[in-house]
Formats: sequence, C-alpha cells, structure tokens
Amino acid sequence: MDPRPAPAGKCVSLFVTCMVDLLYPQTGMSVVNILEYLGLEVDFPMAQTCCGQPAFNGGYRRDARHVAYQFLKAFQDAEVIVAPSGSCAAMVRHEFPVLFAGDPWLAEAERLASITWEFTEFVVDGLGIDDLKLALPHPQTFAFHDSCHGLRMMGVGEQSRRLLGNVENATIVELVEHDECCGFGGLFAVKMADVSGAMLEKKIEHILACPADTIVLGDVSCMTHINGGLARRGTSKRARHIADVLAEALPEGVTYGR
Amino acid sequence: MTSRETILSKLHAARQPFAGLPPAGDMIPVVPADDTSPAALRVRFVAAAEALNCTVTACPDADAAIRHILGLVGTDSTILSWDLKHVPLPGLGAALAAAGIAIAAAGDAHVRAGLTGVDAALAATGSLLLASGPGKPRGASLLPEVHIAVVAAGQIVPDLETWLAAQRAAGLEHLRRLNSVVMISGPSRTADIAMETVMGVHGPGAVQIVLVGES
Amino acid sequence: MDVKARDFIPVAQVALSDPALRAAVKRATDTAAQKRLATMFWAGRTHGEALRQQAAQARRRALRDLPALLEQAEAAMTANGIQVLWAADGDEVRRLVLDIAARHEVRRAVKSKSMISEEVALNHALQAHDIDVLETDLGEFIVQLSGETPSHIVTPVIHKSKETIRDLFVRELDMPPTDDAEAMTQFARGHLRRAFLEADMGISGGNFIIAETGALCLVTNEGNGRMVTSLPRVHVALVGIEKVIATVEDYATLTQILPRSSTGQTMTVYTQMIHGPRGADDDGPEHVYVILVDNGRSDIYPTDYAEALACIRCGACLNACPVYEATGGHAYGWVYSGPIGAVITPLLTGLENASPLPHASSLCGLCKEVCPVDIDLPRMLLDLRHDLDEAGHTPPVWKWGIRGWAMVARSPRLFGLAARAAGLGGRFLPPRPPLPPPLNGWTRTRDLPELAPKSFRQLWAERQKAGKRDD
Repeated sequence: MDPRPAPAGKCVSLFVTCMVDLLYPQTGMSVVNILEYLGLEVDFPMAQTCCGQPAFNGGYRRDARHVAYQFLKAFQDAEVIVAPSGSCAAMVRHEFPVLFAGDPWLAEAERLASITWEFTEFVVDGLGIDDLKLALPHPQTFAFHDSCHGLRMMGVGEQSRRLLGNVENATIVELVEHDECCGFGGLFAVKMADVSGAMLEKKIEHILACPADTIVLGDVSCMTHINGGLARRGTSKRARHIADVLAEALPEGVTYGR
Repeated sequence: MTSRETILSKLHAARQPFAGLPPAGDMIPVVPADDTSPAALRVRFVAAAEALNCTVTACPDADAAIRHILGLVGTDSTILSWDLKHVPLPGLGAALAAAGIAIAAAGDAHVRAGLTGVDAALAATGSLLLASGPGKPRGASLLPEVHIAVVAAGQIVPDLETWLAAQRAAGLEHLRRLNSVVMISGPSRTADIAMETVMGVHGPGAVQIVLVGES
Repeated sequence: MDVKARDFIPVAQVALSDPALRAAVKRATDTAAQKRLATMFWAGRTHGEALRQQAAQARRRALRDLPALLEQAEAAMTANGIQVLWAADGDEVRRLVLDIAARHEVRRAVKSKSMISEEVALNHALQAHDIDVLETDLGEFIVQLSGETPSHIVTPVIHKSKETIRDLFVRELDMPPTDDAEAMTQFARGHLRRAFLEADMGISGGNFIIAETGALCLVTNEGNGRMVTSLPRVHVALVGIEKVIATVEDYATLTQILPRSSTGQTMTVYTQMIHGPRGADDDGPEHVYVILVDNGRSDIYPTDYAEALACIRCGACLNACPVYEATGGHAYGWVYSGPIGAVITPLLTGLENASPLPHASSLCGLCKEVCPVDIDLPRMLLDLRHDLDEAGHTPPVWKWGIRGWAMVARSPRLFGLAARAAGLGGRFLPPRPPLPPPLNGWTRTRDLPELAPKSFRQLWAERQKAGKRDD
C-alpha cells in the first residue's frame, strides 16, 4: 500500500457510507463528534451517495462505475477522506484503481484512493492518537468482531482495540474465532442465503457464549447481519459500531465544532 | 499438428505472465538452523525421527549395531536387504549367516523385515534418503512391515537443501542416474478414516533406525 | 468427471441440513488448519511468511517460463529413459493410457492419487475396456467402493463417518465388523496388497516435474504411491502442464511447503523423485510414461487468471474457507472444491457450467492469507463475477435490481429523496415485512434493521443550519 500523506491539520471530508447514512445516522454523528472533540474540522460533501461496492462485488462493474463517478465528483476537493467502514474504505483504496482502469478518471480515482482512511486507522495511525482520554459513564464489557475487509484489506483491528482499551470503564474480553467471517459478504447474504445463515449461526453461538454484552465492530454491514440474527434469536446481546461506543464516552452536553 | 505442437505453440504465443520477476537469488532453507555441527545435527535428527514415531537406537560401534539388528530380526529366517556392501557395518554378512538368516529375493512380499543403509539422513525433518540402484532394491524399504535402516553418524546432513546443493556441486548428471530417490519420514500413515492417524498402511508400519558411530 | 457445479445451492442445502456431515467437515478442516499454523510458523511468523513468498516466486517463475521449461523437462526425462507424451484433452488422455495398456497387455491396474484422472474420468474408460482399476489411496479406495466422488482434494472422505466406512467395508469386502480405525486400515491393507503385487500397470499423478533434472516428484503418506510406481512393470504418470518447476532449489522449498500447508507435516512420509525406469540390476518398472496434460490449462495461461495455475493442490484454502466448512466439497460439483475449485472449475470447464461458484464466497480473504503460493483467489472470484455479468449470466432480477439501485445511488438528489422516503416509510412498515425474492433470503434467518426517521445527511443539514443561526 502506498503511504498516505500525513493528514494532520487537514480538513476531514467524511465519507459516511450509504448504510450509515440511511440506517445508522447516529454512527455518522458519533464519528463527527469524536473528530471534532480531537479538534479537527469535519466536512460532509453533500453530493456523496455510495462508493458502488455492492455492485462491484456482485460483478456489475458498469453500474458500480456510474455510482463511483459520483463519489469522485463529491470528493473532488477533499484533502483527507475518512469512512466509518473498513469495507467501504477498502473499496475506494483498493478497488477504485481497478474499477477505473483505462478510464479518464483514473488519476482522480487514484488520488482519492491515496487519501482515504478507515476511521480507527485514521485516528491511531494517521493522527497518532490511541488514547482519547475518555471514560464510559458506567462499566461495560466488550468483545471485538473483526470485519474481513477491514482486517485483511486495510489491516485494521488493532487500532480499535487500542482506542477502546484506553477508555476507562471498558473491559475487553475475547470473542472465540473473532476473525472468522460473519457471513454477510454483500449480496452473498441474499444470493447464498442458506450458507450465509449457517456462517451467521456459528458467529451467534460464539457471541452467546462470550461474557461480553456488546460486540464491537467497525462495519455496519456485518453489524446489520449479526444484529439481525441476534434479534431473531431473541437475545438482548447486540453488536455496536466502535464509533458509537467511543462517542458514548465523550463528555456530556458539550457540542463541538463550529 | 501434434498435441505437443499445439500446446507448446499456444504457450509460446501467449503474453508471458509474471514477466518482470527478479531471478531466484539466494533461497532461505525451510528449516533454519544455526548449529550444523555433527553433534547438533545428530541431536536434531534423532529428535525429529522420534517425533515421527521412528525408533532410533544409538550404537557406539558396528558390533553393537549388529547385535541390535539381530535382535530386531529375531526368529525370522529371511530378511529383505540391500546388498550389504551398501550397509556400513563390517561383519554384518558373517553375523547374519551365523544366525541362519538368509537374504530373500528382492521382490519377496512375505518377509517381515527389510534392511537398508541410507544415502543420507536429513536432520531437519528426521528423514532417511534412499536412492535405488544395483544392490539397493526399493522393495527392502517398502514391502516389509518393519524397515531397519542403518545410518552412520557421518551421513547426517542438515536438510534437503544441503543434500541437493551437494548434488549440484557434483554435477546433476549423477543425481539423474538415480532412478528412484525417496525420502522416508517415519512409518507409513493415513488419517483418511475420520481423521484418526493410523500407522502402517501400505508401506512399513515400523521404522527402526540404527545409528552407528560417534555420539 | 461430469460438472455439476450449477447445482451448488441445492446440493449445499442438503449438506447444510446434515449436522453430522457438517461436524465431520469442521473437525477435519479445523484440525488441518491448526496443524498448518504450527508447522508453517514454528520458526516465527516472519520466517513462515518469507517461505510463502519464496514458494510463490518459485511457482511464478515457472509459469513465466512454462513452455521453455516444459521442453527442458521433456528432454531431460527422455534422456533419463522416461517416455514423454502430450495430451491436449480428456479424450486424448484416455486414448493414450489405453494405447499404453494395450501395448503392454495390461489387464490390471492400480492407481495412486491423481486429480487429473478424475478430471478425465480415466477409471471409467479403462473399465469399459475390461481393465481392472483399483484405487489404492485409502480415501480414494473408499470413494471408489462407495461409488461416490471425493469431497476434498487432499482427504477425500472427510464427509464420511467411521461408522459409514465400517459398514461399507463389511458390505463390500466382507470385513469382520470393527470400529477400530487401525483394524479397518489393516483390513484394507491386506485387500490392496495383493492388487499391488499382481498389477500390470501403476497409474499415478505427479506433484512436480523438475525441468532441469527431469524428475517426476510425488508426495504421499501411505506407501501406495511407492507401490504403484515401483511394483508393476509399467508406470504411467498423469501430470498437468502447469506442474513444472525450474530447479532443484525450487523443489526443496515447494516439496516441504506443500505438506506443511496441507496436513501440517514437515515432510510427507514418502517424498519421491523418479528419474527413470529400472536399471539393469535394480527393481522398479520396466517402462515409465509421463503424460503431460493440458485439458484447458493452456487457455488459462494467457489470461489474467494465469496465477491460478500456480496452485500446488495443498488444500489449505479449503481448510480455511468458512463457505467450504458449511457446505462440504460435493456442492462445488467437480474435482476441485473450496476457493481454488470456485476459480478453476469455471476456467477449466466453462463459465456457464459453474456460474454459481464465483458467487459462493463472502470474499473474507482467508484463502489468500493461507495459500502457500499467495494466489489472489478473492481477486479472481471478483473478476469471474464480472466475467459472468459480461457474458450475460446475470439473472434479470439482479440485472434490473442493480440497475435500479445504481440509478438512485448515482444521483445525490434521488438518493436524498430515497433517504427521506425510507425515513417516512419506516414508520408504516410492519416489524417483519414480506420481501420479494430473492431479498426474502435475508429474512429467513435475520430480522431487518429499523429504518432511521432521519438520514445522516438530513441531520447534518439541520446541524449546519442551526450552526449558521448561532453565528
């Protein structure tokens, strides 16, 4: 992977991702609040929609490109792009050069790829901060699930553990087979629904056997699939996004930013 | 066009994959080892061979080794064997004769024990390297239930990489004249039935290594 | 072997609802995966990863120089006394083997493991010509006896319980009933030993051919590989053209990395280099034939999928794959299963014959992580999905569904409208809304998420407006 330009001091363009935008807006707000707490300026280019990953992963590259063009336009003035998703960040960082190979927009795609970060990677590796100096309002026990694209394509996992590990009142235990795929896989969850369900079943068994009440992860795609299964199972355990867990530890009643 | 011509011309005409690869360069051994002194090699070889379920018996000299071998053969009247000139134990022939043990014809499949020397022993993996050739029938290490392998301490080399490097240094033509080279690492085994490891399938179920010489 | 890969989903469903099968597959693959970790990385992760790269480079250099290496291998083998033949496809493999059998008056053949022989249904062809063919690899012997197909490329019967195998042996071989794996193995040994000694021809595969020495290389554990290549008077080896490697140094790395990745062994019990038939004064076959088999490989070679030919058939990707663990090997419908099967089955047998396979993956990436020659299987699965779409294999519901989604997702205005509509509509949807197929696959095992009343972009816009008012 090419080293990315140091992001300190630059305005962060938030790539909120379509699932967060439509289903988990609070997670987007959590990211904004944390970044502003760290003194950063955050912008949300309104023209963004989606990175095109669902279509790209399904092999529908023409459709993916149409959607990805919009991403290029939306972020054309960005200096740093941060996404609360390992898979969406990986799409821009690793697959945009593939998607735009031979296209006049390739240079711009590569530029955006070179400035895109996953959220925890940005804070820990980009800014060099792994202690947010925060405390949760009351003690909680967490376990991590590693989302595959984030782990294997972006190398993230360690960063969120460090961030949460430094939060007071957060106890971290291990989830068995935490780096095994939950079975979401994009359209795979529906195209191969039975296999996806079987993989989910395995993950749920591990979650139920785990002492943690909350499973922390970095991708709301996995989260939707896992929580869908947990809800169906009738347990009160849930998975939450790392940004939401960290944001819970932000001092109350303070608004950040301009 | 013959199939040979069709296949080769297709491959030659193709855009070459991995065109920009650097040349091979120095390759790291699969099993790194700092200490390759004879004593260290011996220790490593014995440990690795025993981990594979071989039985290794260290014998200080040829007489002790011969006594041990006679004990392994027990009451059998025949063994399969390499020609004894390829087994580094002076006096073995006479001892076998004195014990009334005959060497069976090379393909005899009803003999319980087979005796061979080795061309080399690989310390890294506890392997016995046997080359076929005149007086070195493959059957001796393949057909019987028990394979008795005589290894002189000086025959232990660090690993396969070292042995192959020596072959290269000697000119690979010699290696190519060995019709069959086999590296034997333990008794035959399978885990095909419900993943349970079972020793002694088609090849020998017991490998008795007789290690002769300086300890 | 007939390609039944189109039936992936229904066959997978059968496997998914068989807890005994799933437990057996899981136990086998977990065991192998753990053993792999222990022997690949016993000297530390850095060393193990360096070995992977070394093996990867060796295989890629060989592919780069493939035609020249094949010619060099052929010359070296011929000079050693091996007869080298070339087969373009399955028909030709079968014809060549039958010719050899006829020439040497072969009535009985014994076989050690050869995946190519499965590709071309060799056994069937021999038996049709009244030549007895007996599989001697214990797992393949069990497969043959049961009339099934293998479900894993290294351990072919992980899908069978011990009890099933016991019953099979009792029924077909008159074995006295026993549940002891050792006793069952000894029984099979006795049964097969006669066959080894009486066979006219031995048929084997080949793991590598070393071009510079003309060595045919095999890695086996049971001893049947040695029996098959030493006892009968004729030995025929079927080897894919992609199996050639350049040097003995490359061989040293690859022949040790294969067992580590495959079963966690440092070396297989019998690691053989065969240079030629018997000499005047030793034992071994009188004739050794090596048939270099194409069967679709030369069509892969010029493409971006050439890397798939680097595969050394270790099975590590199968052992790592969560999809394989759930479905077992038979769902993949051909000789090769798991991630490598999902890639080479469409490449060797045609996209249209294997259309579900590239989609039978969540793209978790574990296969690439464990592959000893670093094949980018997830990349190839993505590319194959693209190929499927380009070739028109996308079912209309997906084609138009994605088109419709893309229309909305490429337009900020439509996307914003959709967000508002979702926020409003969410209030009126029942908790478990009926979805049209194929989307209803989701709700078979999962609840749907709740739709947020306001999207992030709405919240942001409001926040910005409130901020401006405060200024």
